[in-house]
Amino acid sequence: MDERIVEAIARCAGLEKALEVHPDDVAAAAAAAEKVTNRIRRSSGTLSEPLSEPWPPMIVVGR
Amino acid sequence: MSELHWMTAKAVAAAIAKREMSPVELVNALLDRIERLNPRLNVFIRVEAEAALEEARAAEAEAARGQLRGALHGVPVGIKDIIDVSGLPTTCHSKILENKIARADAVCVAKLRAAGAIILGKLSTHEFAIGGPSFDLPWPPARNPWNRDHHPGGSSSGSGSGLAAGFFPMALGTDTGGSVRNPASACAIVGTKPTYGLVSRRGVFPLAFTLDHVGPMTRTVADNAMMLGVLAGHDSLDPGSAPPPRSADYMKTLEHGVRGLRIGFVRHFHEIDVPADPEVTAGLERVAFTLRAEGASVIDVRLPALGDFAAVYRAIQQSEAWSIHSEWLKERPGDYGRLTRRRLMAGAFMGAGDYVMACRQRSQMIHEVEAALREVDILLCASAMDPACRIDEPEAIERNYVRQARAPFNVTGHPALAMPTVLSRDGLPLSVQFVGRYFDEANLFRVARAWERAACTDALHPPLEG
Repeated sequence: MDERIVEAIARCAGLEKALEVHPDDVAAAAAAAEKVTNRIRRSSGTLSEPLSEPWPPMIVVGR
Repeated sequence: MSELHWMTAKAVAAAIAKREMSPVELVNALLDRIERLNPRLNVFIRVEAEAALEEARAAEAEAARGQLRGALHGVPVGIKDIIDVSGLPTTCHSKILENKIARADAVCVAKLRAAGAIILGKLSTHEFAIGGPSFDLPWPPARNPWNRDHHPGGSSSGSGSGLAAGFFPMALGTDTGGSVRNPASACAIVGTKPTYGLVSRRGVFPLAFTLDHVGPMTRTVADNAMMLGVLAGHDSLDPGSAPPPRSADYMKTLEHGVRGLRIGFVRHFHEIDVPADPEVTAGLERVAFTLRAEGASVIDVRLPALGDFAAVYRAIQQSEAWSIHSEWLKERPGDYGRLTRRRLMAGAFMGAGDYVMACRQRSQMIHEVEAALREVDILLCASAMDPACRIDEPEAIERNYVRQARAPFNVTGHPALAMPTVLSRDGLPLSVQFVGRYFDEANLFRVARAWERAACTDALHPPLEG
């Protein structure tokens, strides 16, 4: 992710203090998130309805 | 009884019930051991010696009158310090909550107390149950009793280390991405992540709402089954709580063996997706061979790839954790340890669409694991792909912690248990994981007990002095 984009998203999220004092950690967090979102977005093309409805977010019922 | 510290919870409870053992004598012996060895292992954030002795005296008096509170009367227990114990701080091993005092017991703690357990104190964890061993927090990280230069797994690090060190026969852990099963794997103990919603999370500091579980940690399978029997139950005030199970008596079928059970071996996890250390692979093959010899049928089973599970897990965990920690991360980023700060801030970069896509993929994964569990009764797979690495090598830890197959079952909510296979050539524990159908912890314990009995894994104790 471009450095300016990382900074813009971090400011939008209210992480000004972290940007000022822990810029390396902000960059590391952005890189970690990017790795995850790339994989999620790649895999999501194959989802079929309605099995992949996400609501409720977690429910377990006995069989 | 010369080795009180290695007694099982079941044996302790039985001996106290028969008035063959004094809870006061036991607690004193454990406190002595803790005083001697804890400075080398950092298991405890806080030892509650006086309160524990007071509870032990009460338990002794009650037992003398024939009044037993429950199945765990007089059994000492350690509590991970993200779980509330009334009147004590719940620090989450963090400067952020250093002075937060719990007003009430968490439901799981209240259930243990009602069953007669004695609380010895609050145990080390990774900060807010995320990240890894860190040296920039108010308390040092717990170490592995098998080799104190190595990590004990986490995030329930004090729970795993303290059990292996003989500080208590039972501990409470929590498991959002494997945090009960990682220390079980690293320390050669037994750790269960129950079915999602089986054990109340009320009074436990959350990490990720839809992935969080409370789980029993013990040195034997029978103790684990006994402890879960106490912990399980519906809680109408926990939004994730499941309806009551049909039976919470996990001891009943424990010794039934595995004859006739169908076991699905998920080989691709450790052979293809994340190739394991050869000693780990050999241990898993030995488990499969043994269970087959004991009368189970073992067939290969395929699930989604570990990399796909990991991405879904991280997207959900990071998004939900950000919703909990964002205000502190904005105002007090410097009060977190570096590792925790990095992990938690990732959620700021996760879009709403990414979270929903991850939840949709999760639904599909649940269907795929359910389909596999219609063909077999239990899944057998790796827990950790390697033995625990050194605690002072952050890059090795980063690699060690992600090379695992535990998070898939936080994503799907199926019950999963980790326990030892054998020791590595270097004397470090290696592990196996069993996974069951929803609310079928009884069969999980049954298979785990068959392996324990065949391999005598309950006799594994680290070479600590004293």
